[in-house]
Amino acid sequence: MAKEMIAMLLAGGQGSRLYALTEKLAKPAVPFGGKYRIIDFPLSNCVNSGIDTVGILTQYQPLVLNEYIGNGQPWDLDRLYGGVHVLPPYQKASGSDWYKGTANAIYQNISFIERYDPQYVIILSGDQICKQDYSDFLKFHKEKNAEFSVAVMEVPWEEASRFGLMVADKDDRITEFQEKPKNPKSNLASMGIYIFNWDILRKYLEEDEADANSENDFGNNIIPNLLKDNRRMYAYHFNGYWKDVGTISSLWEANMEILDPEHSGINLFDEDWKIYSRNSGMTGHKVSAGGVVENSMITDGCRIKGEVKHSILFAGVRVEEGAVIEDAVVMGGTVIKAGATVKHCIVAENVTIGENAVVGAMPTEEENGVATVGAGVTIGDNAKVGPKAMVNKNVGGGEEEW
Amino acid sequence: MVRSNTSALGIIFPNSYDALVPDLVNVRLMASIPFASRYRLIDFILSSMTHCDINNISVMVNNNYHSLMDHLDSGREWDLVRKNGGLHIFPPFMEKSAKPYVGRVGALSNILDFLRDEKEKYVVITDTNIVVNFDFDDMIRAHIESGADVTIAYNEQELPESFLKSQANDLGYYYTFGLEKGRIRKIYVNAKDAGVQNVSMNMFVVERELLIDMINTAFVRGQEYFERDVLLPQLDKLNVQAYKYEGYIARICDMKSYFDENMKLLDDYNLDALFSGGPIYTKIRDDNPTRYIEGAKVQNVMVADGCVIEGEVENSILFRGVRVAKGAKVRNCILMQDTVVEAGANVEYLVMDKNVTITAGKDMKGTSTYPVYIGKFQVV
Repeated sequence: MAKEMIAMLLAGGQGSRLYALTEKLAKPAVPFGGKYRIIDFPLSNCVNSGIDTVGILTQYQPLVLNEYIGNGQPWDLDRLYGGVHVLPPYQKASGSDWYKGTANAIYQNISFIERYDPQYVIILSGDQICKQDYSDFLKFHKEKNAEFSVAVMEVPWEEASRFGLMVADKDDRITEFQEKPKNPKSNLASMGIYIFNWDILRKYLEEDEADANSENDFGNNIIPNLLKDNRRMYAYHFNGYWKDVGTISSLWEANMEILDPEHSGINLFDEDWKIYSRNSGMTGHKVSAGGVVENSMITDGCRIKGEVKHSILFAGVRVEEGAVIEDAVVMGGTVIKAGATVKHCIVAENVTIGENAVVGAMPTEEENGVATVGAGVTIGDNAKVGPKAMVNKNVGGGEEEW
Repeated sequence: MVRSNTSALGIIFPNSYDALVPDLVNVRLMASIPFASRYRLIDFILSSMTHCDINNISVMVNNNYHSLMDHLDSGREWDLVRKNGGLHIFPPFMEKSAKPYVGRVGALSNILDFLRDEKEKYVVITDTNIVVNFDFDDMIRAHIESGADVTIAYNEQELPESFLKSQANDLGYYYTFGLEKGRIRKIYVNAKDAGVQNVSMNMFVVERELLIDMINTAFVRGQEYFERDVLLPQLDKLNVQAYKYEGYIARICDMKSYFDENMKLLDDYNLDALFSGGPIYTKIRDDNPTRYIEGAKVQNVMVADGCVIEGEVENSILFRGVRVAKGAKVRNCILMQDTVVEAGANVEYLVMDKNVTITAGKDMKGTSTYPVYIGKFQVV
């Protein structure tokens, strides 16, 4: 029984620019938005778009991600035929290889894809926050009778040179691809989401693998090769919310944007496009008498006795009396003790912030850094963590970390 | 594999004491009454059972059970999708003269063939109107150590007001015990004694084979109620032991106690006491976190996911998906799933069932001794 389209989700990235957050887990497993992880977005998009078969390509620190995905049930991806499969690199009779690049990761799993005999394969990336209907993308791909389509976003011209750009004609047919060019000819940035006809993808993956000089990368190798052969390539315009959360500041910003769905365009309250996740199973959150919560998102298991302003608290966060939290992203299980101040920062899971400690600071003209505290770290009483700091080791009582 | 000597299967009676809370069970049954911001009463018993490796659970639904079927589904949330055991739902077997269950004897006689086929040595039987994080392992251990034929759990408390007030026996039967060194020598039915009593929690441990024998005999004699008709007359012959429960307990006996027991959980001490055992599982709704918008002001509240709060909320329990609009004031209320309090409305001492809407600007108040209940889907 053939599937029309299956998804391959690239989730092997280390996310080295998230450093303190990705020491022990792959970037797609980074918590986001109060009760989600980044990977919940592409997975939920798949299910909501009618895709029931997803291969997740993992490589870097896959433990947390593997456990989180489990049998795929939270996303309704526990299926008899299809469903979600975690695909790490594996040993073969003729030796074994790490995934050398994005294209090679798919190449090494050609036999997985063949099991479903799909007509189309959609390649997704596990490090973006985006609500997108892939079935609409597929419709476009079919209408254009394309062999390859890429989802693109219009970006401001002055920023265009930071992106991989697609130059397209009036009919959206791609004529040229520019990777981070000095002189952009287009402002259509690739979102790294592709639909291929499977026979075409397979052919180019095999040719790419045979080329010893290739970096085995979609952007650097596969797409230029398709262009060279004058394949039918189209650019699909996407104009919803899309954010690459590859850096601390973009991750922080995306979190803050969900506090303002009316303006930012990322609305998690959409009954028709739910984002699924594995639930904490904790009891409802509590705000005690004397606690203050303003303009924030709070989830199950939180206990708030202090002040929380314009922040996102994940499951089971405790905020003791007199603690002040502002413009902060505080991940699951973290305890913020009495009198501590936590501002304009990201605090990872299971952190303890001691009494009267100070983490981060509200931005000033000279300094607008987002302080980051890695998972499991203890910040001692009266300690100070400066706005530029990225802390992944315990900070003793009274010490300062800048 | 079923552990041979200590394993137990569970039997739950979800309709017991429905008559005590007629409003709340209008569209459901006792087991599916919402509690503590995101749970249903049965979640506490089911989760307690699965934490004690009781993975073969039968729910003897009698009437109004659609909401419970919807809630339980396949039983996955409680890890009860099992090849061996798992969750079974047993409605009355509808023959030509369809009759609902009356007492436990009739209900159990309906599943005797099932009970005969099972492997577990013991059976644990409970209702759902008692909210506990219960250690069944400990009770089964006590049952085995004492060599009892039947062990019944009880706690020491005064009889609930609604029991004392009821004149007739039409609200069902409740039991208190006269004890002698832990053995139950007297079972009092619907007693009216003042002061602290040994009040039955209607939780039993009994060997499966013995239960089958007892039910067989009782059914032939036309008996209906297990405690009143089967145990009470045989207290001399049977070794019926009492198991004293001293943990946190919330009994739902009427609307007032339903209201009070919810509100009690606003005290961290009580909340921690109830939830300090294993986690309590419930149906997942995949709501987003609760959003507090500019202007929201909350004090002493327990709130589930999926709410949007723009108004003022104080001393209240909010279930999933509740909306409190700008300028609205909510005090001392229980707002169940997806209720809406529109702009400028002012509500106090209400129990709002699912999907109730209080339209803009309305004032509505109950009192602390008489919280006002508003039925499902009502628009005020």
